[in-house]
Amino acid sequence: MDCTSFFFALSPTARSAKYCGEDGQWFRHPDTNRTWSNYTLCNENTKAKLKSAYILFYMAIVGHALSIASLLISLAIFFYFRSLSCQRITLHKNLFCSFVLNSALTIIYLVAVVNNPPVVARNPVGCKVLHFLHMYMLGCNYFWMLCEGIYLHTLIVVAVFAEEQHLHWYYLLGWGFPLVPASIHAVARKKYFDDNCWMSVETHLLYAVHGPIMAALLVNLFFLLNIIRVLVTKLRDTHRAESNMYMKAVRATLILVPLLGIQFVICPWRPENRLAGEVYEYIMHILMHYQGLLVATIFCFFNGEVQATLKRQWMQYKTQLGQRRKDHCSMRSASYTATSITEEPAFMYHHDCNSEHLNGRRAEDSELVALKLGDMYA
Amino acid sequence: MNLVSQCVSALGCGSHYEFGIEDLCLAKFRLDMHELGERHWCSWEDTVELYGRLTNCTNLVAFKLGCFWPNKLVDDFFIRVHKHYFQDCSLSGRLLKDPPNRILGPFIVVPILVTLLMTGLVVWRSKRSEGIV
Repeated sequence: MDCTSFFFALSPTARSAKYCGEDGQWFRHPDTNRTWSNYTLCNENTKAKLKSAYILFYMAIVGHALSIASLLISLAIFFYFRSLSCQRITLHKNLFCSFVLNSALTIIYLVAVVNNPPVVARNPVGCKVLHFLHMYMLGCNYFWMLCEGIYLHTLIVVAVFAEEQHLHWYYLLGWGFPLVPASIHAVARKKYFDDNCWMSVETHLLYAVHGPIMAALLVNLFFLLNIIRVLVTKLRDTHRAESNMYMKAVRATLILVPLLGIQFVICPWRPENRLAGEVYEYIMHILMHYQGLLVATIFCFFNGEVQATLKRQWMQYKTQLGQRRKDHCSMRSASYTATSITEEPAFMYHHDCNSEHLNGRRAEDSELVALKLGDMYA
Repeated sequence: MNLVSQCVSALGCGSHYEFGIEDLCLAKFRLDMHELGERHWCSWEDTVELYGRLTNCTNLVAFKLGCFWPNKLVDDFFIRVHKHYFQDCSLSGRLLKDPPNRILGPFIVVPILVTLLMTGLVVWRSKRSEGIV
């Protein structure tokens, strides 16, 4: 018999046992001569497993908190520096918003429900609503990643006629559509598997949400490979050094992989071995809960354009500070010229968005676009 | 109840325990279940409280008599109770199970298909807006 009803999912494979003897009597423990059920396997390693569960729990909370912090900083950067604005950045902003909301909801869910057996036992409607919202935000996360992929694919593969795309459909897919799998899951769960707070993960009804997510990821993977193919072929046509080309392609893939959450597709199988299983759990938790941090870092903090803009702002700020200090020396004319020199032309930094404003150019120019975009990923 | 237990405690955990639980616990349980009506005997939500009371009652009697609990007599007792009241109830009972595949299937396949359709729609619309100058 499963241990799970008493020992909440600490060891889903452990079993309790009661032995029936040949005389039709339950096994009696030799010491007390009473009927005795063997719960030792449930208790086995309980302390270690409990400790491990708590470590994973706190790791998840820390991961999501760090993600929220880094994503909020990135959003602040994107909103503050208007010069960075363009369609791709708009999609980034929406993606980051969805990540922030997802992390916030996950933290609330973990703290208020998962770590709170009295609430689970009480089974209020609120915790089911929270679960529904959690599923919805999870969907939003992956569907916004899909939007990014579709946008890049449309931009690069159909780059010749690049014009400002209408983002309405992306908004619909990213914010509106995830309601559909979440609602279907909620209805199915209510009707067929209405456990306390819908906490159980033992049901296949969860695939009503995870199925579309995996489909979105697979489509994204297809788009990614297509983009890589286009980049590589276009780069090859310009006769560039092969090492340079492969390096850029590999770097591009590695940067896009966390964006597109492919690790979710590749690692759904838990090894049976105890040690390997624990390592797997830690790796999966890091991949799942630190995704926001990773995406914010790669898309914002490592972005050349953002770094240049921040450097520029910092230089301006330093010179303004220097200007104030020099004021008392009455060297105002010199400081005015100093500030104008440090201001670099803004158009140099629009690699990210420049490609979008090409209109009906020829094939060679689309290669230029591909090259620029290749630079962008570097 | 106290009077009875004082009388019986001296006499051990054998048949006296059995009589004890039959008279004190089973009688009340029988009354309650009769009041509930046979139609609802298989409904766990309705019977869980009564069942719990019966269990606690046997526990209490065992405690008063200084007997171990659970013990063989209690096991037999409950087997009889189950045979009488819960024999025809479905095996799955209150255990939560997934619905059969013919219901589960559409719940999984339909969202996936709708997802793919929606994705195709968005790709098609964004391509179309490209072509419009």
